Amino acid sequence: MKINYEFHDFKIYFRDWIGTFRGKLTVLCLIGLILIPLTGNNYIIGIFNTFMIFTIFAASWDFLAGFVGQVSFGHAIFLGIAGYATAFTIRFLNFPWWTALILGAVIAVLFGLIIGVPALRLKGPYLALGTLAMSLILYQLFLMGSLAILWENTFPGTIMFGTDGIGQVPPISPNPGISYLIIFLIMCVSLIVLTHLGKSKLGTIFKSIRDDETGAKASGINTTKYKILAFMISGFFAGIAGGLYTIRLSGVNPGSFQALYSFYAIIMASVGGLATISGSALGAFIFVFLGEILRLLGDNPNISDMFGGFTEPIFIFSIILILIIRFAEHGLLKPVLEHLQDLWDLLLGR
Amino acid sequence: MKNLTKKFAGLTAVNDMSFEIHRGEFVGLIGPNGAGKTTIFNLISGIESPTSGTIRFDGRDITGMSTHKIVNLGLVRTFQLVRSFKFMTLLDNINVSCLSSRGKKIAKDYGIDEYSSTILASVGLIDKARLPPVILPHGDLRKLQIGKALGTNPQLLLLDEPFSGLSHEEAVNITDLIRSLHSDGVTVFVTGHVLRELMGLVPRVIAMHQGKFIADGPPKEVANNKIVLEAYLGRGGEFART
Repeated sequence: MKINYEFHDFKIYFRDWIGTFRGKLTVLCLIGLILIPLTGNNYIIGIFNTFMIFTIFAASWDFLAGFVGQVSFGHAIFLGIAGYATAFTIRFLNFPWWTALILGAVIAVLFGLIIGVPALRLKGPYLALGTLAMSLILYQLFLMGSLAILWENTFPGTIMFGTDGIGQVPPISPNPGISYLIIFLIMCVSLIVLTHLGKSKLGTIFKSIRDDETGAKASGINTTKYKILAFMISGFFAGIAGGLYTIRLSGVNPGSFQALYSFYAIIMASVGGLATISGSALGAFIFVFLGEILRLLGDNPNISDMFGGFTEPIFIFSIILILIIRFAEHGLLKPVLEHLQDLWDLLLGR
Repeated sequence: MKNLTKKFAGLTAVNDMSFEIHRGEFVGLIGPNGAGKTTIFNLISGIESPTSGTIRFDGRDITGMSTHKIVNLGLVRTFQLVRSFKFMTLLDNINVSCLSSRGKKIAKDYGIDEYSSTILASVGLIDKARLPPVILPHGDLRKLQIGKALGTNPQLLLLDEPFSGLSHEEAVNITDLIRSLHSDGVTVFVTGHVLRELMGLVPRVIAMHQGKFIADGPPKEVANNKIVLEAYLGRGGEFART
């Protein structure tokens, strides 16, 4: 398969980017993120780990929906499949974490291919429903008790299916700070690759499919090939996120396939803004930290008595999503950046 | 193209049409609204597949082939209702065509962006290269359509109603553009429902009505053909008398 892709203009782009306000702000945020392990607080490090993993996950969804126009409601498939593959290989085959991670992502890619080929015959809402249905099927499949018994009899000493999933997955490194920095690096690389793909000539083809698929065909583009490719790229990064998430939670269970995770990705990416990739970081940041605050509030018996179930994160997030769609349909990233820049200029007295 | 028929549920849009276009020709396809001109283009370009009949291009059977393959053989079309990649710059709009396997063969020697720029210049849109199509007037979009087709380096260019919705001045621009393309060696097949637009442009006209072939020849002959006149004006004679 021949793919249109060129790498040489990356350096020039990076030089221009670092000169902009947006570039400087990003670098500042990244430096801030690097410093987090210095707090030595495992709880905070843990939340930031989740935030970075969700950033990769949301960015992978944003890539598929924002650049290629393929709205998947079943992104949890990749999260779950890669999660299981990573957990299984680390726990029962004694793979080092990074081979397991890559293997998990590759399996997610292959899975993306297997379900992507039939799914891409579906368009628009039907694609969304089709992918949703697939994730539900996998959820039920991995829950199935009879399958779990069958697997354990065939491969004694290992677990694959069943309600408990695979547990006791060791962390990347016994030192949480090092684990944190590795996840940080993986996030940076993922975001850079996805952003750059979006701006490359390959991204031009992807965007043409998003804007007008028939038109892209009439321009001589094999849209099926590129759509499958996009599914695989997205699946790869979602798979990386799935593997990391499994390691972070030291285990995986069928819950990873829940439609809820797919919706999380959609919420995070939409809050940040579609087709921005870096907006996913903002979306994931708001999502994870607000979610944590809401969880703490919900744990407080006084407050949860007062509000009943209304501190449920998904309830609050649905409201936020509705408000954002109404008042900032292109996401929060652009307006936030603009206001920060105004503030910055004000402080400098320009 | 031979014995081409396309039936939609209960409606035969194209009925047993057969004609041939030779390399380097400049041919018009006319017929009143609903005659089946666009359907013929959809069939040739692979957007729809025919109920029966065959289409050959350059000695090869392309009936039912997928659109992008046909385009990469050199048979490219534009659309009557302008289609563009709305949220991408004009340059990127052309880039997409230049990135198709056929377009790339030529474009990569020049550099994709550079080659697209020359195409934009040739259709007269170079000073708007960084703008998205959503803010352009209709005439510019028509030019963009032709530019997008040129990016794939067409051998046979199908232009579906390139003049519809244009002011006189814009139409003249497009006419000049199409003429120069033809003199560069591109075979051009163009539709129109107003005979006058095509009269001065093409040396050969094929006329159709209600999915059927009615005439083929130089525009003056076709214009005076009794069946063609009837198709356009109804049974005009009787009308005039009463």
